[in-house]
Amino acid sequence: MRRVAVTLTLTAVAALRLAAQAPDVAARLAGRVPPEVASAVAGIAASAAGRGLPVEPLVQKAIEGGAKGKPADRVIAAVRALSDQLAAAADALRSGGGRADADVVEGGAYALGAGLGVKQVQQLARASHAPYDAALTLRVAATLAALGVPPENTVDLVEGVISAGRPPSELLDLPGEVQAGVAQGATPTQAAQGLGHAAAHAPPGRPGGPVPPGQQKPTNPHKP
Amino acid sequence: MTKTYHPLVKRLLDGELSLSDLPLELRGEGAEALRLLGAVDRAPVGLSAQFEARVMAEVRRRAGSPMRRFWRGLVEPRDIELRLRLRPGIVWGAALAAAAALALLLTRPSQAPEGARPVRLAARDSVYVRFVLYAPTARRVAVAGTFNQWDQNASPLARVGGGGVWAITLALPQGHHQYAFVVDGGQWVPDPAAPGVDDGFGRRNSMVAVTARGARIL
Repeated sequence: MRRVAVTLTLTAVAALRLAAQAPDVAARLAGRVPPEVASAVAGIAASAAGRGLPVEPLVQKAIEGGAKGKPADRVIAAVRALSDQLAAAADALRSGGGRADADVVEGGAYALGAGLGVKQVQQLARASHAPYDAALTLRVAATLAALGVPPENTVDLVEGVISAGRPPSELLDLPGEVQAGVAQGATPTQAAQGLGHAAAHAPPGRPGGPVPPGQQKPTNPHKP
Repeated sequence: MTKTYHPLVKRLLDGELSLSDLPLELRGEGAEALRLLGAVDRAPVGLSAQFEARVMAEVRRRAGSPMRRFWRGLVEPRDIELRLRLRPGIVWGAALAAAAALALLLTRPSQAPEGARPVRLAARDSVYVRFVLYAPTARRVAVAGTFNQWDQNASPLARVGGGGVWAITLALPQGHHQYAFVVDGGQWVPDPAAPGVDDGFGRRNSMVAVTARGARIL
């Protein structure tokens, strides 16, 4: 009797906890978007929550659309498209055997949206072992792809930095370095390839970015 | 030292019987009891009418008006004893309801004020990020993003000097945030220093990654 009661209590608490985690989307959107958008997004969010997908990005996208003054149908379409990307990312990550928590799923969705394929998302998620964060890796990859780096080059560059044991913070520098390379006249592909080559050959602890000719610092033989 | 009298003697002392009503063998004891009690002044105490009037006036003053008594009855602490007879089913129902209420209390996202993102705004997890935009012809510049619910009034930039540079420093929670600048209240401009991502509406958002080691634009 006592065991049954405890089980019932725990089950009820877990169910209520899940229910409480599903945010009141309509209430959050009230006053920020037209009522028809709030209603439609609440439905999309409920469906997403039922599939274990993060809801917060959908709410944020709707709020963003409202703030930017976009028409209702465009806001709903953008939220629905993001929901589809989140679902595809979650499926890819789960079938790849990797983490599929909210941050990683969101990162995967942006990567897919930027042009990476399912297998590439799975590949990057698998490569992101500690201390690398899969969510961060996928977002960096998404930004690189958005800059025009082809998906396969994006994966090569990110995986190269990870396999070279570069600090995780260097992953964050990659988009800016590609952008800098493009600003100097390189194509996104050339910039990415140059960075990948530099990362593979730079000693651990030193920046892997390309050094402009003539600015190579001489090594100090007395420095340990 | 106490002395126990015969019950009939006690009735004699109470005035219920007279000495002649007692049996002969008790009359001596009765007479002795009456003698002892005779030392006690048993005359009735007489109170003056003035004294009685003063006492009653004080009683009425302390009792107060009916409204005052009603108010005191409401606010003065009283001991209340409740006796509940509950069936086990009711007890378990109440326990489940209490657990449910506790779970809701612990898990419900707090209603955040305008311009704040709930849940992760703990100062300990925040990192200061400086947003800068060069907009020499702008009259008003703000930054809006996922960190302030895309509210273009929440984070206005201030002019820095007279060269058209606008800036603001915000404490952002760790995580990834999309944002854009809003110029003159209606023009959404991605950060020129950041690559940016598709915003889903045909334009671009900038992205900043905030970690414990600092913030980087993506």
